[in-house]
Amino acid sequence: MSSPAISKPHRAVRRLGARRTARREAAFGYAMIALAMLFVTVFTFAPILASLGLSFFDWDVISPPTWAGLANYERFFSDGPVLQSFGVTICMAIAIVVLQLTLGLFLAVLVNQRASRFGRTFFRTAFYLPLLASTAAVAIFMGYLFDTKFGAINYYLGLLGISGVPWLSSPLGAQATIVLIVVWQQVGFTFVLFVSALMAVPTDVLEASSIDGAGPLRTLFRIKIPLISPTILFAAVIAFINAMQLFDQPFIMTKGGPGTATTTATISMYQTGFQNLQFGYSSAIAIILLLLILAVTGIQFLAARKVVFYQ
Amino acid sequence: MARDFGPVLGRRDLLRLGGYGLASAALVGMGASLTGCAPSAGGGGATSGTLTMLYFGDQKAATTLQNALQPKVKKIDKDLNLKITAINGTDWNDFLAKVLTLIAAGQAPDIVSVATEGLQLMAGKKLIMPLDDYVTKDMSTLKSGYFDDIHPALIEAMMVDGHLYNMPDSFNAGSMFFNNDVLQKAGAAAPATGWTIDDFHSTAEKISKVGGDILPFDWVVRLWGSWTSFLYANGGNLLEEGKYDGGDWLWGKAYDSGDASVAGRKGGWKWGAPTANSAASVEALQYVIDLQKAGFSPSPDVGGGGTLQGLFSSARIGMTIGGGFWAGGLHNAGMKDGSFDVQAFPTWKGNKSLFGTGGYSIFQSSQKKDAAWEVIKMMIEPESFDIMFPGNVTTPGRKSLMTAERYKTTGPKNWSVFYDQLDGSVPISAPSYYNALATSLNQRTTEAISSGNAKAALDAMQSDLEKVAKGN
Repeated sequence: MSSPAISKPHRAVRRLGARRTARREAAFGYAMIALAMLFVTVFTFAPILASLGLSFFDWDVISPPTWAGLANYERFFSDGPVLQSFGVTICMAIAIVVLQLTLGLFLAVLVNQRASRFGRTFFRTAFYLPLLASTAAVAIFMGYLFDTKFGAINYYLGLLGISGVPWLSSPLGAQATIVLIVVWQQVGFTFVLFVSALMAVPTDVLEASSIDGAGPLRTLFRIKIPLISPTILFAAVIAFINAMQLFDQPFIMTKGGPGTATTTATISMYQTGFQNLQFGYSSAIAIILLLLILAVTGIQFLAARKVVFYQ
Repeated sequence: MARDFGPVLGRRDLLRLGGYGLASAALVGMGASLTGCAPSAGGGGATSGTLTMLYFGDQKAATTLQNALQPKVKKIDKDLNLKITAINGTDWNDFLAKVLTLIAAGQAPDIVSVATEGLQLMAGKKLIMPLDDYVTKDMSTLKSGYFDDIHPALIEAMMVDGHLYNMPDSFNAGSMFFNNDVLQKAGAAAPATGWTIDDFHSTAEKISKVGGDILPFDWVVRLWGSWTSFLYANGGNLLEEGKYDGGDWLWGKAYDSGDASVAGRKGGWKWGAPTANSAASVEALQYVIDLQKAGFSPSPDVGGGGTLQGLFSSARIGMTIGGGFWAGGLHNAGMKDGSFDVQAFPTWKGNKSLFGTGGYSIFQSSQKKDAAWEVIKMMIEPESFDIMFPGNVTTPGRKSLMTAERYKTTGPKNWSVFYDQLDGSVPISAPSYYNALATSLNQRTTEAISSGNAKAALDAMQSDLEKVAKGN
């Protein structure tokens, strides 16, 4: 705030000083984010742009690329197996997101209501641990566990009189098994988010609802879930983006089979590019997958306007 | 004048300088680490004196091999170095995909290990060069020192359109391994020479009666040694078999004129129209599906063979398809010599069996082709074989190396079938679109297994292959 006692030249010097400080702070800020921007540019934006460019060419890695125009995109819409892989991906992604959110919320509510502070820390760590394990290692290990003939799961089920469950050798079994494994590994992330969000629900609101006679279920559905809805939206978006890029588990455990039952969009992309050497077409598939993820994420945000409650 | 803007180092300046310093250090560090990741000038093949080679395996083995070969390389030229880069993969299909990625990244080597799976693709795309001139130049020494010792089937499998693109030193033919402990428990006799598919089936029936978690047979979904072994024995193939003309320049000079094993050899295998849904094919695939339905085999893995090796070595599988690579593989898995043996694949409509071979090629882009040729000649010498492949992990292409002494510690006793089976065998059908073929084979085979309908899946495979073949 300026004072009438300070002369005009003095105010000008102070303004100049403030501008310099602001410039220095801005420069410092840019320097701080420069490295991150460099990484994002080199490893995210540049590959996306390169893929976009490549999608208009035919390229087998070995010969020089040739211009293909929109042919790769036109081919996509008439390529039955690749379209099917998108269908498989969407179905599995929906199952993963629904299960991951439901289970994560259920566990979070349970731990938040019942567990002590130590219990909360313990369960948070326990449920988060699978996420820290290498996906490839988990997939290999699960492949052994779920083997129809020699797997440990079927061994114990056999003791209960259930024999030969085709976990990975039937189309539906393989899809369900992979969904369960992904949910098992990812649910910890959702769980941790929900526990934190539930802990942040204001106690005065909870006390008020309790005084008004709301029971635990009503408090959950009418108070807690609306209050943590931004976190649910965030978890849903992240889970969906991850699920649409599903690759490791089906690739390692079933190689996309039986048949094409677990051939996801990213496996299709890999096979088209690295096995069939059609990198232009593979890039077109990647771009279409990116657009699909962007579109669905956009729809999620639009739909969320009506149900997400921001305090 | 007041020193309001003098060189006093304030908190913000300190932070700013620190930030710049950190950012610079990170950039320098990143640059240094990326430089470290990239091949050095010497390793990229641009600097004189260093030959680069891609090797199928892990880097530890590659480095061991590099160190072991280095003294031999120095004998060729004291200024020459060999840098071997390993490429890990579950099978040759995987290896080939990664080699192509490296090529795309501009890291083409001078020498590359190539197996049957990748030969026609690499030759067709002119990535590797014909070795005809080098072979002709050194024919006098190669005839007695190499060709006389190598089965011509291996050489012919490495030819395309009359040209030789690769110097093979190893192979694996699809034979039938059996676990002696399991056979003993089942009261079944060891398969005898000339056994048939009926003998195989009756042995499987006997093993199935042992019970517990022991199964008669297992296999892996892949092109080599899969249900395709049954297909070959049934007189079929996934593609029409044919041969390129030419090759006289080699057969007439490299082998003696009266050599019966050279009769009918031409300029390499020419794979024709797809025949994936032929009667022989449907019958062969349906046969292995029915084995599984009957409880004679588990659901097979796709690619690799690690699980199968574990099951076989722990005596939970009675019989399976394997090649000479399993001698070392089973020994390393803890199986004692005598606890397993091998027999040629059983005869069905005929005794045609399959094999895959591997050797060394020179990249067309190499700037040191002469040196690469000299190193390849060194690598295919008999003395180099155990350096290249320590521990019986593949079958030597040289007959002179197929000795009782070699299999003394690892077994199997009936090791001679590995080489004998090459007579009348055909290489795996690996055209220039091998990768697409392998992908379709894997998908359609697992589809057939889960549906139980071989015909429908093979019709789909036929359609897949026709589409791909049309584009090639």
